[in-house]
Amino acid sequence: MNRSTMMIMRIEESAIVLSLLKSDLRPMEDVLSEFDSKFESARYLSVCNSLSMMLQDQQMFKNTERLIAFGIIYQCYSSQKPSFNPFLSEMISAACNEQLEKSERAFLLHLLQWNSYNNVKEILKLSAVDYIRSFDPSTHDFPELGELQREYGDKADPGPSSHIFADYSLKKLLHDPDVPRGCDPNSPEFDVQAGVNPRIGSGDRDEALSGFLGNLTMGGLGPRWIRPCPPRYPVHQSELLWIDPDNKHELVWDDKMCADTSSGATVRDLLVKGLKVTLSPTEQEDIITELANDPKLVFHCGITPRKLPQLVEHNPQIAVEILTKLNNSTEINDYYEALGNMDMSLHSMEVVNRLTTAVELPKDFIRMYITNCISSCENAKQQDKYMQNRLVRLVCVFLQSLIRNKIINVKDLFIEVQAFCIEFSRVREAAGLFRLLKQLDE
Amino acid sequence: MDSRDSLSSDAVRDASSLSDDAAVLSVTSTLAKTALSYFQSGKFEECIDVLIQLDQMKHNDPKVLHNMAIAEYFKDGCSNSEKLVEVLKRVKKQSEQLSSAAKDQVEAANPGTNVSVSKDHFDRTVTTLNIAVTWFHLYHYSKSFSILEPLFQNIQRLDETIALQICFLLLDISLACRDAVNFLAVFDYMDKAFGVGFGSHEENGSTMQLSSNQVSRTSSLLSSSVASDTLRSDLTAAESSLCEETLDYENVLAEIEAEKRMKLVGHIPANNLLKTLSERSFSTADLKLELQLYKVRFLLLTRNLKLAKREVKHAMNIAQKRDSSMALLLKSQLEYAHGNHPKAMKLLLVSGIHKEAGTSGIFNNNLGCIFYQLGCYQASSVLFLKALRSCSSLRNGKPAKTFSLSQNKSMLITYNCGLLYLASGKPLLAAQCFQKASHVFRRQPLIWLRLAECCMMALQKGLLEGGNSSLDRSEIRVHVIGKGNRRQLMIEENGYVELAGSNQLSKLSLPLARVCLSNGIYLLNESLSNDSKSDLGSILSVGMNETKEGSSSDHEEGNTNTDSKEAKGGMSQEIIQNSLSAFEDIRNREKQLMRQALFANMAYVELELANPIKALSAATSLLQLADCSKIYVFLGHIYAAEALCLLNRPIEAGAHLSAYLLGQDDFKLPYAQEDFDQWWKHTSSDCEETLDPSTGNTRDSVFLKPEEARGALFADLAALLATQGHHDQAKSLITHALTLLPNNVQATVTAVYIDLMLGRSQDALARLKQCTHVSFVPGRLEVRAS
Repeated sequence: MNRSTMMIMRIEESAIVLSLLKSDLRPMEDVLSEFDSKFESARYLSVCNSLSMMLQDQQMFKNTERLIAFGIIYQCYSSQKPSFNPFLSEMISAACNEQLEKSERAFLLHLLQWNSYNNVKEILKLSAVDYIRSFDPSTHDFPELGELQREYGDKADPGPSSHIFADYSLKKLLHDPDVPRGCDPNSPEFDVQAGVNPRIGSGDRDEALSGFLGNLTMGGLGPRWIRPCPPRYPVHQSELLWIDPDNKHELVWDDKMCADTSSGATVRDLLVKGLKVTLSPTEQEDIITELANDPKLVFHCGITPRKLPQLVEHNPQIAVEILTKLNNSTEINDYYEALGNMDMSLHSMEVVNRLTTAVELPKDFIRMYITNCISSCENAKQQDKYMQNRLVRLVCVFLQSLIRNKIINVKDLFIEVQAFCIEFSRVREAAGLFRLLKQLDE
Repeated sequence: MDSRDSLSSDAVRDASSLSDDAAVLSVTSTLAKTALSYFQSGKFEECIDVLIQLDQMKHNDPKVLHNMAIAEYFKDGCSNSEKLVEVLKRVKKQSEQLSSAAKDQVEAANPGTNVSVSKDHFDRTVTTLNIAVTWFHLYHYSKSFSILEPLFQNIQRLDETIALQICFLLLDISLACRDAVNFLAVFDYMDKAFGVGFGSHEENGSTMQLSSNQVSRTSSLLSSSVASDTLRSDLTAAESSLCEETLDYENVLAEIEAEKRMKLVGHIPANNLLKTLSERSFSTADLKLELQLYKVRFLLLTRNLKLAKREVKHAMNIAQKRDSSMALLLKSQLEYAHGNHPKAMKLLLVSGIHKEAGTSGIFNNNLGCIFYQLGCYQASSVLFLKALRSCSSLRNGKPAKTFSLSQNKSMLITYNCGLLYLASGKPLLAAQCFQKASHVFRRQPLIWLRLAECCMMALQKGLLEGGNSSLDRSEIRVHVIGKGNRRQLMIEENGYVELAGSNQLSKLSLPLARVCLSNGIYLLNESLSNDSKSDLGSILSVGMNETKEGSSSDHEEGNTNTDSKEAKGGMSQEIIQNSLSAFEDIRNREKQLMRQALFANMAYVELELANPIKALSAATSLLQLADCSKIYVFLGHIYAAEALCLLNRPIEAGAHLSAYLLGQDDFKLPYAQEDFDQWWKHTSSDCEETLDPSTGNTRDSVFLKPEEARGALFADLAALLATQGHHDQAKSLITHALTLLPNNVQATVTAVYIDLMLGRSQDALARLKQCTHVSFVPGRLEVRAS
């Protein structure tokens, strides 16, 4: 809650300040000049804090000492306007405190340069004693506290600690319980006399002032909030880093630099040709050999799903080889989709039939392909009768082959295939397929 | 006639150009082989010279430029990785431009034909892989992963060697990022793609191997029963000696080595651990072992320790006739995760990695982790420092021509050192370690929490610059000033600590703690949003699982040994999903707990910095967390109440404290000791098996006991009432507080304040004399000195 850092005057500093405060016979400007020469600006706040807190107690300092203390506070920040002095609120409060001597209040008004009190330079040429002696209260006006606060209001910061606890702070000084109540501490009776043995109960005033100057800190005594520190986050076993000697991941030399790409190029050229014409047995053999030698060549041979139908029509055997090698790739579904969307033909059926024994075709694909075949037979009705019969015979042989080899589970397609057989019952192969269905149904 | 003549001349010209191309091809091919030979021999200067000749013959060929970049990097001693990445990126971009240009040419030659120049696409694979490898070694895992993922999507197209390297790199990235989902996606692919090569004969061989291993295990049991008493007594002695702070690590090492020398039948070579992937010829069995080891790592990552135990045995079986060092290391890690530290230590020694210069750092680090968990911080510190020295000497002494581009492990060990120093109460050293390690761990919220904890520990120890600005003052000083009739007492609460070496201390501060906590909170929120990003990985995983399901069903149809296959340790889909969901639960719980810690620490730091508005915001966020632990709820209320007091809102502050109020003047316990123990165990231990108490985590965190927390509530409410002028009521509460917290400075100061406000100076002075943290300082000595 106390935002100010520790500000304590050092022992040698408090001794210097004490001697300056007691210089009541020297011109005050000389005293302040000596202060400037012995204190650097970094220590100003610390000194003024101690003085400000001691000035709160009207009995702590003598009248002349109070004037010099306020002069020091003024001097530290005299390079700016009085309204920027960080101890402005304390000065205003003192200037309006009716319990204080009028001479002190007038002195403060000069320091603040309030209204007609603009003679601070002349006054500082006097000593503290001379100022008090020559002071004439009848010639001075004293403002109300509200008036000064209104004039300096925006800049009269009540202090760095402006929260609820600061409002209830007490002075940190406790009276010694051994000192009787009502005892006047400034009575000369108790002071140590020079040359005389000290009496019991007497005290050295200078010693006390020096102790105060060297020990006072900013802030008052107030109620304190207990603020527990959060516990440290526990260390889990996995937070401690257990190290494995992992695999070494090395930079890779590209050994395909200036590599001979003729073999791959040969296959690609042949396949481009194979999209248009039927390749010779020698050419087909070359392609199959190259594909077998390089398992990855199938990915770079230039065949795409869009080109697959052309390859199937002209070179079904090559198509089977390529699809077999692509079966485990992520793109195989695109190829199957292209194959399934082809117009039904002898070559496409040949490719599908061979694939059923070479690889595990997706069930959905087979089902879709069969459905398309049946639809093609029905749609060919209006055209060439001969061609329709030929298609029906091909489909029947194809289906019988699939059923006998247990490639498909005929129960999934039973109704559809049965309807197909009934529709084309005049074809001998369809009748045979129908009998096979009946046989399986029993 | 004219047509025939034209065809003839064209044929002649084609033959001539073909001949020229063949000549050039042979020359460049020879030069390429020469360059490769130099590269493999480590003669990078000569290699670069040959590559320059090639570049002159095939100007701006991306492959030549790529290999030149690699050779330059090795010639410079692998010193500038960032530059290498830049060069490789440039080569890759150039390759892409050439690819699109070639594609345009082909399309111009064949209008309407959609030609994909797949060859050029393939050419970028090596460059891309090398970029990912370099990022991996720079600990930029997310960059490395994002570069590799497109390659993984089309991995069937790639050479098997390169595909393996990509997969292994992806596995290690997933392990480093603790991303179980992505790990599983890659692992499933590897198991399917490279497991296809396992023939049934190999399976039978594995079965026979397993059977013979069972026989050997039986004989081992017989022999171990004979020596069981001796072994048990040895273990007892080892356990007792391990817990001594004055443990002589070298002696223990020597004793265990002697024991091992008697028991070890044959030498287990560890050299294989340092071989690179490209140098290894992966046989089917080797690949199977690697996949099995990665499976164990996955289960350790997801903390499925029961299944990991079974799988590590399987790995030991596979590795029986070859290098078993890695399997032993994983087994050691498994025992460490179980909390079975003596056994973990023995397994570390048996693995033999401490004998090799390349792996002794790893050994020392892992042994240091074990000692840390045992609470032997001094021994742990010695081991971590040895590990750091091993890594340092390994790096310095490595010849530049070696192919090895190893990942620097010192950052990981430095992080461990930071944890150790924090546990030992050395926040400055810990912070230095964490700041070094933050190069690697900067995106993890936990390291920022640790740095903030260093700052706060330094605050408590009075090590922060500017003196002790903490309100947690350790003592009260009463200055006796003056004498005789002028004697007065001045109460001072600050314990002034003289600073030495402030230049070093200026690095730690409360504002730094605030920045670290902000980083942690931001990264934690980011990781929560990234959890939705990992759904992309989940999609990939789902895709792979679908394929795997198909494969599995086909396999079931064709094989009647399904049960036996499961018994061998194949990870079924259900087990995988259970591991993933359990791991996700663990991660979510950890994030929730870390969030609580971050907010609590943030509120505390803001209060220390006198920022009540931000402190209130952090405390409110803490109290709004679902399932917040009772300890953090208590802290949230305390911090919020204090912030509200500082903001002149005492009624709201009282409401927070009233959460624990019983009647008018009594408080219930904000949490019980069981809550604290449960919080501790809940945070630090998620093993399925019950931890052995003697080997459990050492509790090195100090916090208020439940009664002390109740006392704090009394004191704080008393302070609140005192500020509102209710001094009589406050006095009753502060008396309660001092009963529970007799020596608490804050409570004493509040009590003194209340006594003074009630006009009881005598009582205040008596209270000061009773408190053991109050000292009376004579003022005469200072005056005499002056």
